[in-house]
Amino acid sequence: MANPADKPDPNLTTPDEGEVREEELEDIEEEDDYEGEDDNDEATASKPQTREDAAASRANAQNLFRRMGVAPVPVRVHDVIVKGNEKTKDHVIEAEVEGVRQATTLQELLEAANVANFNLRALDIFDSVKITLDAGPPELPDTTNVVVKVVESQSPLAAELVTSTKSQARSSTLEGSLKYKNIFGHGDIWDSSLAYGCDNSGEVGLGLYLPRLRGRPSPFTSRLYLSTQDWLKFSSYRERALGVSLGVLLSKNHELGYTLAWRNLIDPTQMASRTIRRQIGHSLVSDLKYTFKVDERNSSLRPTRGYSFVSTSQIGGLVPDSRTLRFLRQEIDLKYAVPLGFYRSALNFGVSGGITFPWGSGYKSRASSVSERFFLGGNISPVCSLGGPSALWGFKTRGLGPNEPRREVEDDKSGDTYERDFVGGDVAVTAFADLSFDFPLRWFRERGIHGHVFACAGNMAELSGNKYRNFTAPKFLETFRSTVGAGIVLPTSLFRMELNYCHIVKKQEHDRAKSGFFLTFSTPSS
Amino acid sequence: MEGDQDTSGFTLVTRKPCFGLPTACPNCLPAYIYLKLAQLPFQLAFNSTFPDSEELPYFESGTYVAYNNEDGGVIEKLEKDGIVNLDSQLQSLPDYLSLKALIVSWLEEALTYEIWVGTEGVCASKIYYSDLPWVIGKVLFYKQTYLTKNRLGLTKENAEQREKLIYKRASEAYEALSTRLGEQKFLFEDRPSSLDAFFLSHMLFTIQVLPETSVLRRKLLEHGNLVRYAERLKSEFLEESSSSPSPPLHSFPSSFSGKGSKPKSKPKTEKSEEEKKFKKRARFFLAAQFLAVVIYVSVMGGGSSDEVEYEDDD
Repeated sequence: MANPADKPDPNLTTPDEGEVREEELEDIEEEDDYEGEDDNDEATASKPQTREDAAASRANAQNLFRRMGVAPVPVRVHDVIVKGNEKTKDHVIEAEVEGVRQATTLQELLEAANVANFNLRALDIFDSVKITLDAGPPELPDTTNVVVKVVESQSPLAAELVTSTKSQARSSTLEGSLKYKNIFGHGDIWDSSLAYGCDNSGEVGLGLYLPRLRGRPSPFTSRLYLSTQDWLKFSSYRERALGVSLGVLLSKNHELGYTLAWRNLIDPTQMASRTIRRQIGHSLVSDLKYTFKVDERNSSLRPTRGYSFVSTSQIGGLVPDSRTLRFLRQEIDLKYAVPLGFYRSALNFGVSGGITFPWGSGYKSRASSVSERFFLGGNISPVCSLGGPSALWGFKTRGLGPNEPRREVEDDKSGDTYERDFVGGDVAVTAFADLSFDFPLRWFRERGIHGHVFACAGNMAELSGNKYRNFTAPKFLETFRSTVGAGIVLPTSLFRMELNYCHIVKKQEHDRAKSGFFLTFSTPSS
Repeated sequence: MEGDQDTSGFTLVTRKPCFGLPTACPNCLPAYIYLKLAQLPFQLAFNSTFPDSEELPYFESGTYVAYNNEDGGVIEKLEKDGIVNLDSQLQSLPDYLSLKALIVSWLEEALTYEIWVGTEGVCASKIYYSDLPWVIGKVLFYKQTYLTKNRLGLTKENAEQREKLIYKRASEAYEALSTRLGEQKFLFEDRPSSLDAFFLSHMLFTIQVLPETSVLRRKLLEHGNLVRYAERLKSEFLEESSSSPSPPLHSFPSSFSGKGSKPKSKPKTEKSEEEKKFKKRARFFLAAQFLAVVIYVSVMGGGSSDEVEYEDDD
């Protein structure tokens, strides 16, 4: 954000800002030359000028720049005029440029106009946005009118393909969506999407995005979805959910969400272990989620400076019906990056923890729902994953933690080979340290390819279903898993890929992990 | 924290108990009775969130699991896997198969009809959906009603005829079974078999769960020897652990409401225990109050006399 006290730089970086300043100079010339005019007539601005007039304009402009450089130039916004919107409601546009009314100096006005321009473009419903300053009424000196001219998108339909890491799916997903913009003129964006995740999850959904809810500057999203997550290979169950989720971004750091979903866990293979067998069935989830997020890192894919903190609190079962799923869940995630000064190296630290527990009558003996538990492992990098313990280098998806033997079947090849289900934990903790550095060769540096060495540790345990009685802190610390390794990071436009060699320092019996080469794919967390 | 659970022993997972039955689901009750007839000790666990599952009931022991949708049913699977077998050498008898066909086809169809159509699903709601949230329960109930009507071949045109046929077949089956049974203790060779489990389950469900107005129930109660058979087996095998004797089955009609509440005998015994506890506590409370009053009076009475003396001293 430009500091109003700084000298304005004529060679501005953004074309919009440059456009604003050029227009501003022309209109200030108009103000000086045509004091009687009070409407923004572009034809007037393009009236051919004589050489003397042009010279006078240049002199005025230079004089103005000198004045702006020396001291704030007082100005007051008289009116905001919106043009070019046929479908979009005036109040939608005016709400985004509201900041210009508070400006008291020309410098502040230019900055506010810049921000307003950015906000309007961020609505994603206009092809172009132009903000100009015009002379105010002649009887009111030192006033200006802000004119916002927009060109609405000719085709409201847009298709998009993105990769992301949804905290819900806990893996990287590829999402294709079709968006219909601004149907009702409120900046509303309707989308239908199809998403596919690395963990065999799929989701089809319809969504609505509103930039403001009832006049408040809080973007509102709602989504109706049908999703499937296939955990048969790891935990012998498949999860299907049909639900609606609502989200409000209260401010930059605070987000509130509500989800109402019909969830169904099935085991079509009929091979599940005892804990999973007990969980098979239908449930209704009604949960409220509050997220506090601060991300001051300079990059989410290669952070070299700054910190991030995310805290997510969830409470399920906030309805009078005691038969809905009742649980409490808390996750925290803290990351810190310290630049070391040579070869663009940085030391990243991170610690992440989470706990979940049922509430309501009989909460101590009731097992928590497997869908709300924590699972560690997978092909995401802990450096990038934001929000809760999930990633651990070297361990496969859902590859560690409490596990149980699956149903035994007669195997012709060998008498008693049967695999195990990882049933997740009610409490999980992970920590990592990562030293990243550029390679000496310029070829790598130009492409952002860099190296890193890392160490990580993590563990989880069951608490619900009376298992908290077996939980002791020394035993929890004693069974911590840990990995060290090194690798190359290849950033691409869609995701960050790591090719690592991991050495498992400590693991427990039945963990799915072994020393060797691993690929991870990470996308900016949403 | 990790590792296997204590899975020693046998567990039968069924739908939840209701209407005075250990499990109110007519698909789960035969397995329960079968294990009781075989006198195999086992624990009971419940799953109330999957009413549309065909896997229930299932039997587990350690990592061994016998699901109901495998090998013809959980009872057949247990017999096949050698866990428990009451039907050894019975399967070769000519009557066995015909009676089995009668019970598992005609009687089962009649019971399904009565639960979902005849009684308009009132019992079904309580058995299958009462532990699910209202929305899910309603949707699954309508879905299951629709599927059941399809399975029974019911349409608007043939509904009446199908109903007559179903009840007629049920009547004939009861007649045949009543004749076959006579006054014997079991259906075959004076020892329990899986057919006893299936039939007893059918009978207990019909008598204890279906309302008095049920046509099927009325038809069953016409056969006194069948009711006595059910009563005998119930008291001998299903209520071994219960200390209080249960009233005879044929008296249940007078004590049951249409909605299928629990039999009054059980609440009566529970009430009397609660009443005893309450009375005991009340007695303690009264005694404590009396004691407090006595102490107060004695202390205050002694105090006041002291005060008087003091005043006199002054």
